[in-house]
Amino acid sequence: MKAHRIGAVVLRQAYEARHNLDRVTDALYWPVIDVLLWGFMSLYISRQMSVGPHIASYLLGMAILWALFRSFQRDIAVAFLSDVWSRNLIGLFSTPLSIQEYVAGLVLINLLKAVAGMLVAGLVAWACYSFDIFPALPALLPHLGILVLFAVAVGIFITGLIFRFSTRIQSLTWSITGLIMPFSCVFYPVGTLPAAIRPLAFALPTTYAFEGMRAVLAGAPIRYAYLALGYVLSACYLAGAAFAFARLFMAARASGLLVKIE
Amino acid sequence: MFLTPPDAPHKPHRPEPAALLEIADLTKDFGGFRAVDGVSFSIRAGEIVGLLGANGAGKSTTVHMLLGFILPSAGRIRLFGLDPLHHREAVMTRVNFMSPYVGFPMRLSVFENLLVYAKLYAVPNARAKIGDLLDLFDIADVANKRYAQLSSGEATRVGLCKAFLNDPDFLILDEPLASLDPRAAVHVKQLLVERQRQRGLTVLLTSHNMFHVEEICRRVIFLDRGRVVADGSPLDVTRTMLSSARTVPALREIFLSMSGRKARESA
Repeated sequence: MKAHRIGAVVLRQAYEARHNLDRVTDALYWPVIDVLLWGFMSLYISRQMSVGPHIASYLLGMAILWALFRSFQRDIAVAFLSDVWSRNLIGLFSTPLSIQEYVAGLVLINLLKAVAGMLVAGLVAWACYSFDIFPALPALLPHLGILVLFAVAVGIFITGLIFRFSTRIQSLTWSITGLIMPFSCVFYPVGTLPAAIRPLAFALPTTYAFEGMRAVLAGAPIRYAYLALGYVLSACYLAGAAFAFARLFMAARASGLLVKIE
Repeated sequence: MFLTPPDAPHKPHRPEPAALLEIADLTKDFGGFRAVDGVSFSIRAGEIVGLLGANGAGKSTTVHMLLGFILPSAGRIRLFGLDPLHHREAVMTRVNFMSPYVGFPMRLSVFENLLVYAKLYAVPNARAKIGDLLDLFDIADVANKRYAQLSSGEATRVGLCKAFLNDPDFLILDEPLASLDPRAAVHVKQLLVERQRQRGLTVLLTSHNMFHVEEICRRVIFLDRGRVVADGSPLDVTRTMLSSARTVPALREIFLSMSGRKARESA
């Protein structure tokens, strides 16, 4: 892998972000909307019901962190789609650029965007609801690593599927996190789920990340066992996604779909 | 204005194996359909070769296999003596590809698009190089225009700028003169011949415009139903396929006869 080629992919996406308002909207608008929505919801709940003072922290904190996961996964696939839509993919791959460098560039630029979105959402939560997530960030960071790894796994898996099955399945880019969210226990503890569904929740690394982060925001110590399980699962999903991506990419080249994808 | 088909290059750019490109028994099956059927040919450094044939003859599939976009079902490809599938970086650094069917990101300016490609090829002094190429193809005035705002002729010229960014040793051009006005087309043809003479540039060109091909290619390869049916100078191919009494190349006639036969068979 060569840094200058990864840098070229980052530059191409940075130019796109500069010229395309949709990209700014995706990175900043939705995280801020989420924070506003869950902020009002937490205010309402804390006033109407006898719940502890941590409710706002739970809801707002989880909204900010979920937005990071969702936008990171989605933006990796959208960045890839933008090269498909502009018929630029063949041009890129007629250069020395390798598929690994291309994916590395997409991950890097979209991680930066997702972190920027999280910081803006954090500032909005602080300004509007006096909820300050920043002091908790050092303890949250290890959990964020789980989300980042899993988002990369989902993002590259969707990208591989688009290589193989073309843009007819591109809606997965936006919908897949909706499917994962209810079982990831973002806003409620895993014990809330019916017993029959809990194994599914425990199969997702996001569940361990959010359970752990809820504990951190409640002032409890880091749950290292959950953290370890989250990382092991994320690594497994990432390895599986990388394997599937490589197979799907090869299948697209074998069937000639790579040059027909649009 | 007509161009003299190029001679052998005066100064080879760098020492190469006897054949810059070697293709042996290249075959591609898509399910039950054989798109390329045992194609074999080689190209020496400094040749400008036309790869010709009607739609569906197997030209694009052959080119896409050369570039690694499509995996061959069988056969062997060697570029600069290397297998491009296993030595991608070493090979693709010295190759460039241009096709009007390959786009650029629409919202990026012409300059931004070319800068991204310059970085992919690690072009030294990229900004100056891009400026020179924009001047060369007479589109310096659209450097800051978004790609989406270009006319089709301007877009083709941006593709040609990209094709020369890394000073390639081997250039694969798919319909390089599409959408160009006659003046621009002559300019591009002159440039190709000049680069071939001065730097030993090797070109594989596909086109449906047989007049352009006769002007710039010393050698043509005709494909039909995935097979090589003729390989030689435009005049030799004309004599082989039409009549030995011919004294001037008539590639258009050959092309029309081949595509007409194909249409009749399909009907």
